[in-house]
Amino acid sequence: MVEITIDGQPALVPAGTSVFDAARMNGTPIPTLCHLQNETPVGVCRLCVVDTGARVLTASCVRPVEPGMKVVTNSEKVLNARKTLLELLMADHPSPCARQENSGDCELETLARAAGVTQPRFAKRTVSRGKDDSSLAIAVDHDACILCDRCIRGCDEIKNNFVLGRMGKGYSAGIAFDLNAPMGDSTCISCGECMVSCPTGALTNKTVAGTSIAAGPDTQGFEAEELLQLPVFKGVSGTFLELNRGAIVKRRFRPGEIICREGEFGSTAFYLLEGKARVSLSAPIAHVKTQGGAKGLFKKLTSTLAARDADVRDDEARDRTIPIDASVDLAYGNPVAELGPGDLFGEMTCMNFYPRSATVIAETEVVAFEMLRNVLDIMMKNKSFRAQIDQNYRRRALENHLRGVPMFADLSPDFIEHLKRSVELQRYAPGQVIARQGDAARSFYLVRIGFVKISETYPGGELVLAYLSRGDYFGEIGLLGGGVRTATCTALDHVEVVRISGDDFRDMVERFPSVREGLEAVAAERAAQNQQRMQTVRSVPIDQFLSQGLMEAQSLLILDLENCTRCDACVNACADAHDGVTRLVREGLRFEQYLVATSCRQCRDPLCMVGCPVGSIRRRNSLEVIIEDWCIGCGLCARNCPYGNINLHPFDVMVEDLERPGRKKAMVKQKATSCDLCTHLKEPSCVYACPHDAAHRVDPRTFFSEMLGGGTAK
Amino acid sequence: MWRAGQAPPLQTLRVAGRTWRFLRTRWRVTDRGGWHNLARTRTTKKLAQRIDLNYFKRPTLLKRAKFWLSVAVPLLAVVWIAWHGFSRDSSVYSSGRMSGAHAVLEAECAACHVQTAGTFSAKASDTACLSCHDGPMHHAAKMDAGDCATCHAEHRGRMSLIAARNESCAQCHGDLKTSNGATRFAAHIESFEDGHPEFAALRSNGAVAASDPGTIRVNHAIHMKPIRRGPNGPNVQLACGDCHQAAAASAKWNYADAAYTTATTSYTDLDEVLALQADAFHRSKPMSGRELVAPVKFAYACAGCHSLAFDKRFSEGVPHDKPEVAHAFLVKKFGEYISAHPAEVRVMRDPGRDLTGKPLAPEVRVLTPTQWVTERTAEAEELLWRKTCKQCHALKVGDRQDHLPSVEPARTTVKWMPHAKFDHNAHRGFSCESCHQKALTSTETSEVLLPGIATCKACHAPGPEHAESRCFECHTYHDWSKRKEVIPTFTLPALRKTGN
Amino acid sequence: MRIDKTQRGWAITSLILVAVFTAIYVVYAVHAPEGPRGGSDLGLTFGVIGFGFMLFAALLGARKRVPTWRIGRAQAWMRGHLWLGLLSLPVILFHGGFHFGGTLTRVLMWLLIITVVSGVFGAALQHYVPRVMTTDVKLETIYDEIGNVQKLLREEADRGVETICGPLGIGKSANEEVQRAGGFSAARPMVTSSGGAAVAAETVVLSEEECAPLRKFYLSEMRPFLEQPKMRGSRLSDADKAHGAFTGLQTLMPEAAQATVQDLEDICDEARQLVRQEQLHHLLHGWLLVHIPISLALILLGAVHAVMALRY
Repeated sequence: MVEITIDGQPALVPAGTSVFDAARMNGTPIPTLCHLQNETPVGVCRLCVVDTGARVLTASCVRPVEPGMKVVTNSEKVLNARKTLLELLMADHPSPCARQENSGDCELETLARAAGVTQPRFAKRTVSRGKDDSSLAIAVDHDACILCDRCIRGCDEIKNNFVLGRMGKGYSAGIAFDLNAPMGDSTCISCGECMVSCPTGALTNKTVAGTSIAAGPDTQGFEAEELLQLPVFKGVSGTFLELNRGAIVKRRFRPGEIICREGEFGSTAFYLLEGKARVSLSAPIAHVKTQGGAKGLFKKLTSTLAARDADVRDDEARDRTIPIDASVDLAYGNPVAELGPGDLFGEMTCMNFYPRSATVIAETEVVAFEMLRNVLDIMMKNKSFRAQIDQNYRRRALENHLRGVPMFADLSPDFIEHLKRSVELQRYAPGQVIARQGDAARSFYLVRIGFVKISETYPGGELVLAYLSRGDYFGEIGLLGGGVRTATCTALDHVEVVRISGDDFRDMVERFPSVREGLEAVAAERAAQNQQRMQTVRSVPIDQFLSQGLMEAQSLLILDLENCTRCDACVNACADAHDGVTRLVREGLRFEQYLVATSCRQCRDPLCMVGCPVGSIRRRNSLEVIIEDWCIGCGLCARNCPYGNINLHPFDVMVEDLERPGRKKAMVKQKATSCDLCTHLKEPSCVYACPHDAAHRVDPRTFFSEMLGGGTAK
Repeated sequence: MWRAGQAPPLQTLRVAGRTWRFLRTRWRVTDRGGWHNLARTRTTKKLAQRIDLNYFKRPTLLKRAKFWLSVAVPLLAVVWIAWHGFSRDSSVYSSGRMSGAHAVLEAECAACHVQTAGTFSAKASDTACLSCHDGPMHHAAKMDAGDCATCHAEHRGRMSLIAARNESCAQCHGDLKTSNGATRFAAHIESFEDGHPEFAALRSNGAVAASDPGTIRVNHAIHMKPIRRGPNGPNVQLACGDCHQAAAASAKWNYADAAYTTATTSYTDLDEVLALQADAFHRSKPMSGRELVAPVKFAYACAGCHSLAFDKRFSEGVPHDKPEVAHAFLVKKFGEYISAHPAEVRVMRDPGRDLTGKPLAPEVRVLTPTQWVTERTAEAEELLWRKTCKQCHALKVGDRQDHLPSVEPARTTVKWMPHAKFDHNAHRGFSCESCHQKALTSTETSEVLLPGIATCKACHAPGPEHAESRCFECHTYHDWSKRKEVIPTFTLPALRKTGN
Repeated sequence: MRIDKTQRGWAITSLILVAVFTAIYVVYAVHAPEGPRGGSDLGLTFGVIGFGFMLFAALLGARKRVPTWRIGRAQAWMRGHLWLGLLSLPVILFHGGFHFGGTLTRVLMWLLIITVVSGVFGAALQHYVPRVMTTDVKLETIYDEIGNVQKLLREEADRGVETICGPLGIGKSANEEVQRAGGFSAARPMVTSSGGAAVAAETVVLSEEECAPLRKFYLSEMRPFLEQPKMRGSRLSDADKAHGAFTGLQTLMPEAAQATVQDLEDICDEARQLVRQEQLHHLLHGWLLVHIPISLALILLGAVHAVMALRY
């Protein structure tokens, strides 16, 4: 313990405490800008300077106490220094900055006002340092940045993301993301830590700066104590809530008000406290159907939206539920459900930044918490919150998911009840392996939220079989007992699965032998498929053409450039067949004299499927990637496709006007489209329409191995 | 930026068996651990993102040029045609220039192309041709050879319309069919060189060889050799033209005897020949009258050498006429003589006649003048009938009541080729012998001295280096004897003004 | 389209047809009473066949406008167009008996000759030029978008230079709203590095003097070249001279700028290649400006001729 004197008062503090902490412990707050309790102090702002009797004023946040130190925190010298500092800082500060405007608590401006700095004497900087609007969640105003280093430390120390850093020197110094990329292009994951740490309005929550959180008459900030009163927040650290004020707000919605719209990007989750909300899909449940042409000579091919009964696809999932990002799923026939108190929605959006999966409208007066990821992250680790979520899930969605598994379709209700009780919810972090190929299979899994990659490794490479999302299941081999996993299951992002243990299950199976038969049938089918796949894959030299990812494809549209006269007949035909929007672009990389056109490659590892908020993009018959009719047009698949093969197709539709219920209005809804190989016709239109024998749809394995004269590809 | 020793946050993707670490930025790691601006690397997605999805709907210079040219050029064509339509100028539709004869109608389409009432068609029908020309049919039992245009093709440029191709004639004559079976004409004539038979006059009819039906005995061979006794001395060389001349010839007859020209001749064929000539041909060249060679007349060709003297007392000969006329002449002549020389009634015995050894008759006979005339006439007639006239004519004594001989008609053929036209005038460049070689060696009248088809074929053959050998050169399709006059309907100014 | 052995079927059939037609014509021409005529039965037949070929050939344009109608593959139509179109010339010559006739028919004959000859020329171009384009223009893009890509290249070059040299004072264009491939327009407004976020603070790597040569070169030579790549006079239009220029520039610039200079050279190279692509594209498609209008006029006038010739 060290004895010091603070402002004339003696204090006894443990050795190693900083002067700042010592003062704080003794009830003397020292103003700071760059110091945060949970970050390593750096002492750059110099606002916390105190007089310790040394030659110069000391930055109290970095200076450890020494025995007999005499600290003066409020002498005129110190106060003048602080005032000058504040004046200097205010000279460059775009007062009022965003934070000051929105929540009135810009630390710099507050301090400046308290210190009596009104009009700085110094000239403002002439050149603006600019704003960075590229991030989805956080607005950057470099002019308001005081280079306090809080954000950098927050990103590095607290969140370990290491995105922020400093750049430049002197007058041109500033914070930068990665190598001075725009924030939205950087590796920033929008956790909000920097924003939360920032004392000024340099980093503000975009929705803070915009409309939703913390703005508007219906939102209110609140004290941490208030939150802690609520049972769900039991056990959450008060300091955390304190520090993350602004990352969680309480919002009030009037009946009929739209809480969120499907397809929008967002970064927040909603937790309903009071009231009821209706969750639905407003995109027309219809898929893009290309029709005409095949029947009759003069019928034009048009792309329309065709409802399921108008255009039957043979292996379309029947009686399925549409998985959405809430505690309940939507039934296909009537995609409307109700959310009530205790329901959490927007979890996927918040954790993994996928687009909103459905539209939520308040039915009654609704009070909800809107929170950012850092808060939700903590909440999900909190037992009572978790328990609530689990309970909701089990009550509302689990049965549907279980029934969605074909083997379980005929189970009796009490069996289902038993299952519901005995399942476990497990969370996995991104990249974590849930089950590995070759391991003993012991459990059966249902996906509650997130994306799971199912892949097989074999000599020479890896083949992704599927991306599973909410409502999908895997691991049925495990239920039989004694089996070995045939594939590796990896969590791609924040995944939560429902686990049914094999032992548990087997006991119940004794009572229902039919289930066993179903299981065995599935297992046998799986084994056969794997066998076949292994055979085909092994015989092809995989390690060629990897640089373009050509072997990833199952079907390539190649244009023989020595025949092609660049006449655009293929593009015109594709557009003609698809309502004026082409699904093929005559641009791309070349291989030998072939141009590999930008048109869906039916990849073996379909990256487009990752992240679909409503799970509408899937594979059919291992070749064609199709998009189901409930696509909400968010465009994530288009962004994910590494080849740019997915485009969004605008349709003019009459939809219910959400703001005025009962009325319809015209809107442009988008549906994701990609090359569908013109399966309703015998031959793809582009190949059919090429006058010069230049367009071909080929299987790259056979095509290229023939070309190079290698391998007998079967 | 990255603190030393700390790994940058990377997204891991397993692609095709290899683990790729991607930053969700446009920067990537190089091998040496440094950073490289990825802006210059090409990926399919980046390339595709440069492209506006609707590029192919936008017009480019090329597309617009293509469109406007495709509108402008056909429009130009339409305007051009419409212009001709509006100015009523149908000559643009002509399929070729007109023949020389119709050149004046080059722009006057309606002269021949008359629009059939009520239809769109405006073919040039026979009616149009017949409004100026008459084209009488071939022969009575004809089969229809088609309309005028079948043989007379217009719109072929400046050529002769008459110059019909052999195929036109061969339409029928190539395989001649008649209504009553066999025909006396050759049935498979394609052209002059292909299927044209030898001239009828020279063709043998079965076993009977062709012969000249003429009865006048002529030995051309003797006449063509130098003649020992000519009127102007020995060794006279006759030329063909001394006896044979063109019908309208006005040249002097070398061996004519004026005394005989006034005699009435027994045949008027010459007139017929001339008469025929006027209408028999329809040719572009004007008639010269020299196309045919006139039949040989005694007065002009023979009289110079072949005297018809009958008695030493007279220098003149009998007229070249019927026997009755000759007889009358003789009687008259002798009568006049004995009247002028009455002492001649005393006829002395011809001492030459004593050699026979028979009893001699009184030396002098005294006759009456009538007896003398009769005796003398008989002697003269004896000479004439049995020698002089008989030298050329075929006559028979004793058939008739008045004891005068009957003379066969001469039957001199005037026109050897009744179905063709031959123009000696066109061939005047050649010597007669070059074609009529047979004359040099012909001894009998019955020999036909007409040159055979081979002679003609020597020059008349297909090909530009030969003479015209198409059918129309010698034959005529139309039967001009039945020609009717056509009242012309055009006036030149009207034609020029209204025709289109 | 290459005339290769896949065209064998059509070629042989056409050859046989030509032989048959020639035989028929020769026999007919020899035996016709007044010579071969367009109006005779056989002449009319030839005329109808020839016009039929021409009509089918002309319908190719219509066929290309309805590419998805299942009325026969475009390839079959193309080959039919080529071979039957070619055949129409001898057939029409047979129709006219090798006479050019009057005014209208003379014009038609010349139009036909021009059409067929330009078509053969075009077929030859389509045989050779794609290969030339493929080998010469490695960095080919879509012709219609060349202007846009050149603009992107300019912006990229600007960015590259500004990153190390500081602002050049060149105005940036706004990103216009177009629907770009790759679904980019939908997800969010395309975030290019030049639009949206301004460079927070200039990351000046080089000092004024250090980047002066680059600045000078860029502003005086390269940017004008990138703005008008087709204009002659710039030494960057020629690959060798450009390489020389950049090599020279490399010697003047410090190590840190080498990558950027290399990138600029690559950008110039790409710009040059795009110019070459434009030239070749014009060649490959320019002949159609003759072929198509003339053929349309041919069909029109041909129809007029057919009607009028039958009338007269």
